[in-house]
Amino acid sequence: MDKPEFYQRLAEILDVEEVKPDNVLKDFDVWDSLAILSVLAMADAKYGVSVKAEEIRSVVTAEDLARLVEAKRK
Amino acid sequence: MNFTFRRKRISGVLVVVPANERSFAEEMRNFNFPESRSLKLKEVMGYDKRRVVEPGVCVSDLAVFGLEQLFKQNLLKREEIDALLLVTQTADHFMPATSSLIQGRLHLKQDMLCLDINQACAGFVIGLMQAFMLLEQESVKKVVLVNADVLSRKASPKDRNIYPLIGDGASITIVERDVADTVIHASVKMDGSRASALTIPAGGLRLPSSPETARLEDVGDNNLRAKDHVFMDGSAIFNFVQTEVPPLIKDLLARAGVSSEAVDYFLCHQPNRFMLEKLADKMEVPYARMPNNVVEHFGNSGSVTIPTVMAYNLRERLLREQFQVCLAGFGGGLAWSAMLLRLGKLAFNQITEYK
Amino acid sequence: MKCTFKNKRISSIITVAPSQEFRFDDEYPYFKMTEAQAKRFKKMMSLDRHRIAPPDVCASDLCLFGVQQLLKAGVLKKEEISAILFISQTPDYILPPTSNVIHGKLGLGHDVICLDINQGCAGFVVGLQQAFMLLEIPAVSKVLLLTGDTGSKQMTRQNRLNYPINGDAGAATVVERCSDERTIFMDVKNDGSRHKALLIQGGGYRMPSSVETLKLREVEEGVVKCLEHVDMDGAAIFNFTMDDIPPQIEEVLAFSGDTRESIQHFFLHQPNPFIVTQMAQKMKIPQAKVPNNVVSLYGNCSSTTIPLNITLNCSEPMRTETRRVCLSGFGVGLTWASAVMDLGPLDYCKLVDYESK
Repeated sequence: MDKPEFYQRLAEILDVEEVKPDNVLKDFDVWDSLAILSVLAMADAKYGVSVKAEEIRSVVTAEDLARLVEAKRK
Repeated sequence: MNFTFRRKRISGVLVVVPANERSFAEEMRNFNFPESRSLKLKEVMGYDKRRVVEPGVCVSDLAVFGLEQLFKQNLLKREEIDALLLVTQTADHFMPATSSLIQGRLHLKQDMLCLDINQACAGFVIGLMQAFMLLEQESVKKVVLVNADVLSRKASPKDRNIYPLIGDGASITIVERDVADTVIHASVKMDGSRASALTIPAGGLRLPSSPETARLEDVGDNNLRAKDHVFMDGSAIFNFVQTEVPPLIKDLLARAGVSSEAVDYFLCHQPNRFMLEKLADKMEVPYARMPNNVVEHFGNSGSVTIPTVMAYNLRERLLREQFQVCLAGFGGGLAWSAMLLRLGKLAFNQITEYK
Repeated sequence: MKCTFKNKRISSIITVAPSQEFRFDDEYPYFKMTEAQAKRFKKMMSLDRHRIAPPDVCASDLCLFGVQQLLKAGVLKKEEISAILFISQTPDYILPPTSNVIHGKLGLGHDVICLDINQGCAGFVVGLQQAFMLLEIPAVSKVLLLTGDTGSKQMTRQNRLNYPINGDAGAATVVERCSDERTIFMDVKNDGSRHKALLIQGGGYRMPSSVETLKLREVEEGVVKCLEHVDMDGAAIFNFTMDDIPPQIEEVLAFSGDTRESIQHFFLHQPNPFIVTQMAQKMKIPQAKVPNNVVSLYGNCSSTTIPLNITLNCSEPMRTETRRVCLSGFGVGLTWASAVMDLGPLDYCKLVDYESK
């Protein structure tokens, strides 16, 4: 999985210039139920994986999220 | 409205009654009536014991308990259930449907129908009709019909019209196709203009529950009731039953070409013994062929009373023999219904206690 | 559970929306949203306006009004009504059934079956299944399928998750027999183990109404609710709509022998426009075949969303043509039900505003 591309897509959802792997998701202003929905949609549309509601609530950093999506692709 | 069904049968019945038993003699102290008058009522109406759930017990609890018993006894397999019909007026929640909750708790398959139908005392006959209609579909081989209510939780302890007679319970009836060319006749009628004879005024969206609706009010006949409580106009219901049920059954039997004498048992909804004796008198049916003993042992559990009559009075016999029976369910809605069918031999016909 | 029906058709649809319309741009202060947040929310969810019933109007009033218009228009006669199905999660009463109350108000004869069925977003398709089954009985001539909900009464206005998307509405659909075979293919599935995705905890028998269940609390920023209000797990709903609905639609298409090309319209339930767009993309169905404007103009009105979609977007063609359609309702339960059928020509197909007397 192309990680830089993933972080770029995440940055668009979170309405910021850049997202770094160790950024804590909850710290973003815009990390709310809408953002979560957008991430779920992105995971499905761009990566063909279904991320579950419980899974996304348990990730902490952007890297956790990237790893989660990557693991599901296998 | 007349219905005819072919090649369908009831294959098993399980009734779940709460273990918790109350007696009229203890409870009558709550009423604003002199003891002598209450005792007279007890004798005339046929009140004695009734089964009610402990606080917090819901319809899904009774249903899950009963179904698990059937699974344990190998009388039913989870994967066989193609449709779960729940006929109730006392659902666990406004959403989701309680039949969905039961399906989830029992890990039943996804490829099935779950349906909550709001019906009262006519609900066993109407539930059977639903089951028969579903069995017309190729993919449906076994329907589980659950009738269940915990209405005691909405009866005012200070309302002598209703409190002493309400019982709680659930029944599980397995309905499937019959290889024999059996014919079942049924008839249903409804009259919403008389709906107010049996209601709970508050709790729906028309008048949501509030501290106001929970207040006991003196309703003028020495009884105290809140808008959250169930109200029954006893004499209106009595008149309704005497007027509407005999002609319904008469027409049904005439259509089927079966005489009253040829019916082995009239298994009727059990409002109370008094009403059933009067109904039997009017229909000229001996009491032995129209059992009326459910209320004095279990209380009136709405649409569950008909399967309770079956399981309590004909427990062993329905396993070994087949009878021509006429079912009749009538009450809230107002709705009145009757069904003529051959019943038995059942694979099971049990009553079990829920603790 | 698969089923098929032959020789049945929908003959009329009327959908009734409260006349009170509210715009998102006026309401967002109630949701404790900043202008920026509101803008983002509005854009992502394609929100514009929705209809909310006044306090004294229940779902059954909307449905009854619809029936009265159909009677007035002459496409239905009282004596033809053999069954009233009331599909709702916001009934007038727990006891008696609301369909009986409607029966009384219409002054119908006794030879009518009245059934209240507790269903939400899958309710139109499940209701059609009931109607088609009832029409197998010779004595049944026309079935009145009534769907209606006033979901606004199960939430506060100060609820940014649910309120802006909710719409109140009712519909009356007439279903009858016809001489053409017009086979209908349907599939229904249930999964109660995931029921927490859409739930009202209090007010039923599991958690009866009390002072406690009516207490309003701000459970998170911009969400004020009590235990008798809807709990919705948006992410779980998203998972459900993306994972379970497309396979069912594929199944039903295979069942009927149809393809994305042969189906002219996909009338999907609309939890919100964002989800519907995602679903259409995932299923590779052109957006033009998936009308997706109900929420923007009227709100998500539960089981009435599908008939409202038809009357909003297709009323003219439906009067004269036959279109091959796929209906799919999904949500609370969780229940999901999809059907492929011919729809039209209809004797009546309109969306109207409710007028109280």
